[in-house]
Amino acid sequence: MKIALAQTSPVLGNMKQNLTHHLDLVKKASDQGANLIIFPELSLTGYTLRDLVSELALTPGSSEIFSPLLEASRKIDIVVGFVEERTAHPGIFYNSAAYLASGKILHVHRKVFLPTSGMFEEGRFFAAGKDFKTFSSGWTRIGLLICRDFLHYCSSYCLFAGGTGLIITISAAPGRGASNLQGQGFETSRMWELMGEAISFFSSSFVVYCNRVGVEDGATFAGGSFIYSPFGKLITRLPYLDEAFLIQEIDLEEIRRARKSWPFCRDDRPEVIWHSLEQIIRKKDED
Amino acid sequence: MKINPELVTRVLTKFIREETRKAGFERVILGLSGGLDSSVCACLAVKALGSENVLGLIMPYRNLDLEGQEHARKMAELLKIRHFKIDISPQIDAYFSSFPTENQLLRGNKMARERMSILYDFSAREKALILGTSNKTELLIGYGTIHGDMACGINPMGDLYKTQVRELARHLKVPEEIISKKPTAGLWPGQTDEAEIGLSYEELDNLLFKLVDLRQTPEEVISSGHEEKKVKRITEMIKKSEFKRKMPPIAKVSSRTVGHDFLYPYDWDK
Repeated sequence: MKIALAQTSPVLGNMKQNLTHHLDLVKKASDQGANLIIFPELSLTGYTLRDLVSELALTPGSSEIFSPLLEASRKIDIVVGFVEERTAHPGIFYNSAAYLASGKILHVHRKVFLPTSGMFEEGRFFAAGKDFKTFSSGWTRIGLLICRDFLHYCSSYCLFAGGTGLIITISAAPGRGASNLQGQGFETSRMWELMGEAISFFSSSFVVYCNRVGVEDGATFAGGSFIYSPFGKLITRLPYLDEAFLIQEIDLEEIRRARKSWPFCRDDRPEVIWHSLEQIIRKKDED
Repeated sequence: MKINPELVTRVLTKFIREETRKAGFERVILGLSGGLDSSVCACLAVKALGSENVLGLIMPYRNLDLEGQEHARKMAELLKIRHFKIDISPQIDAYFSSFPTENQLLRGNKMARERMSILYDFSAREKALILGTSNKTELLIGYGTIHGDMACGINPMGDLYKTQVRELARHLKVPEEIISKKPTAGLWPGQTDEAEIGLSYEELDNLLFKLVDLRQTPEEVISSGHEEKKVKRITEMIKKSEFKRKMPPIAKVSSRTVGHDFLYPYDWDK
């Protein structure tokens, strides 16, 4: 399977311009034989939206912005980030990621963990998603996460328990901390890589992370998108800070090989986890 | 507290390049005092946009800081940037002849605002965005003139403590005489920041780093070895200068108000 990582820098609040750029890269990826192209979190809108959230919200099934992307997905699978407003729930906005394939919306993930502290204020403008689901693609079972979702380790566990072989995280993570004297990236980039490495081991799955770059209102998005193999091995990493585009071939058989070596998946006991969580939650209620 | 100067340079040049373009400019302008901050900022601007797109203004008052003037000129020549010297003495003297004062702070603030006014005028004349040079230390303790040296289009330096700016200066090969001289706001002859604030920048930055970056309480900072008197003084300075770091409050009357719940990004549609 060939995956294209589009480490882009969206124009804040200008969906038409971003769409054009998406379509250009989709064509480029498709022409070069990629099977899937992944864009960062809120790739169609930019990140620091605040009151723009409601103005840019769209319903994937009936959106003019989405239809050319759906059309393009007949040739190549696409993961894209956008602000979602569902027909059934007007006025409620989600930070969402869609997986498009064969002209259809295969899956939409709504960001569950909305960072709302310090420099982040997503909870002020977005509603939180309510689940982590995997879905079957023509390739392997896939799970989608959005940025902070990935930093909560329960999220990837749910995808793991749901049978994923490929965890895709799209992100708009600003770089923070410049006292990392050895590496070339921000301290937070190191954190993402550590987690990517660990989660790929834990889940014996591919972990694909697509982060954006560019500057918005003073914050610099860190880039450094990466892919880890089911053996926890770094397959590729894109440059920090700069726009980049890369097509990487991955061998999906690695999932099988990893699970033969490390039977975490076979030996997993979701019912024990469920039972334990139930007890913990009940006890919390009693407290 | 140490910084990776290579990474910081990359981030700040990217910031200058992107935010200048987003603001609709190709060029930048900044005041050159001959001090550390404006020298480092000029270096970053040249790295980001090329020397032909950076304009420096040297704006002395009489002979208040001759060494500064000389360093500013030297820096501009080293960087091969366009620079003008504009003497602000006539307008300052004209004003204070009508409203005399011996208060050096009042005089210094007036000078800072005169320089601001000239920078904004030249910004429009030259179609160049104003780079601010206030560092994190100054911003936190409010050691700057509101609507004076704190006024700017964008500020690449505001998240670097003074001692970190010094580290960056070494990396950017700013002349040693500029790095090692005593920092001064140029308020009166022989004035130095450290004497006025009452702490060395090393101590001040260390203290601020603990309070702000490490989120320690004043009590924790005191027990880590800083004098109680100093910690209290600095926390008081931080509190008292919050107004310099904010837009003024707007009285809320309607259901949607600028600054309260009319919230758009700075880089809207850019």
